[in-house]
Amino acid sequence: MEIKFPIGFEKKFEEILEDEFPKLEACLHILPKKCIRVNTLKISKEKLKQKLEKNGWKLEEVSWYENAFFVETEENLAKTKEFFLGYYYIQDAASLVPVLVLDPKPNETILDACAAPGSKTTFIVELMKNEGFLIACDVEPKRIKALSFNLQKIGATNAVVIMMDVRKISNLGISFDKILVDAPCSGSGTFISSYRVLNFWSNHVVEKLSRLQKELLKACSKVLKPNGILVYSTCSLDPEENEMNLEYAVKKLGFIPEYFEVKGLKYRIGLESYGKINFEYSKYSIRFYPFENQTEGFFVCKLRKQG
Amino acid sequence: MQVEKARIEDVEKIEKIVEKNYGCRIDLKKYDVYFNKKQEIFLASKSLNENLSKSASYFGLCFGKLKRGEKIQLTTEGSQIIGKNATKNIAILDDENIFRFMEGLDSKAFNLVNCEDRNFVIIKNDEDFFGSGLLRENYIESNVSKGRRIIKSMKKI
Repeated sequence: MEIKFPIGFEKKFEEILEDEFPKLEACLHILPKKCIRVNTLKISKEKLKQKLEKNGWKLEEVSWYENAFFVETEENLAKTKEFFLGYYYIQDAASLVPVLVLDPKPNETILDACAAPGSKTTFIVELMKNEGFLIACDVEPKRIKALSFNLQKIGATNAVVIMMDVRKISNLGISFDKILVDAPCSGSGTFISSYRVLNFWSNHVVEKLSRLQKELLKACSKVLKPNGILVYSTCSLDPEENEMNLEYAVKKLGFIPEYFEVKGLKYRIGLESYGKINFEYSKYSIRFYPFENQTEGFFVCKLRKQG
Repeated sequence: MQVEKARIEDVEKIEKIVEKNYGCRIDLKKYDVYFNKKQEIFLASKSLNENLSKSASYFGLCFGKLKRGEKIQLTTEGSQIIGKNATKNIAILDDENIFRFMEGLDSKAFNLVNCEDRNFVIIKNDEDFFGSGLLRENYIESNVSKGRRIIKSMKKI
């Protein structure tokens, strides 16, 4: 069966990417590089590398995070002793980026607003060195179960999982130093992993999600401490879910956007315009496509709450 | 999951049970310790907000479960916390048997270190600790939860 983009998708991204669109199309026929993140709470990078190489794995360090590897092996990554032991976590290398931008530190109070199944949550725990206080929220019971399972496996003692709609997060009465809003999205950047996401993609869905994302940003802005950092990310490539929400966060919620760099990652700054809309603050955001790093596509921006 | 904070005397009791069963000391006072109704023990960093313990789906790391007769069944993470210092009730498994253990099947140790029959033993392979199992007449019953099992082969011993 020939795999194609839905018509509306093709039209939209031809307009956005122009000459580069064929590169995006080519990603329909490749898979992302397999990636694992070392759980440094349980094992050192060197020790894990030694164990996996002994099993014949080829490992290449991810250029934007030293404790993650791209992996080549015939073995099923989820059926090894080391995986059972929680020595590594399997994830797309792109999803490391929002957490690297968040830059969690031990002893901070952090909220992971849309946490399940936990690839970013467990990474936050690791960078906090299991110190401080992390609240991870999600709404779906099945996903909460997966999130809790993954936190146990990583060895998290500093994390609490709460099943709740983050739009009601102020009910907890807690304020945070940092918040990650890796928002529910259309997932249009993840078609490299599974083109099934495209079956659910439509401009209507994107617009609906964009409204939800704004509500999440608004709710989280209320529980962030003055001068606190909020990182907003999606695995969508659609400007309605990305640059438009950045504009909303700055203009309507009063956030101050901040520049950041992710060394070793190929990316570009956010779109300057889309259709007739110009984006004033997109230079404070990054987006990368599946063809740039052979990972899923992502959008990330960093916002500071006024003091 | 509804957990309740353990009293200091309960924490000391767990420390004694660990020492009795696994021959090593553990300082649980660096954590806040919680129990649920199933007698599972959770280790939480002191920085966690206790008010959330009633409503959380995950509240600290599950260390193990208290069993009748002052015994304790360790989770994989519990065994990793105390494994290096343990001197009793350790079962060393070869590669074939460790995969059986991870599959949730009965396995056989090639070396038993100070083990008592019908007690929980720490499962070790190479230098790694995989959890605990119940030793019963030289066989080890796996305690690996369904969600964590790794199905690799179905070989019979």
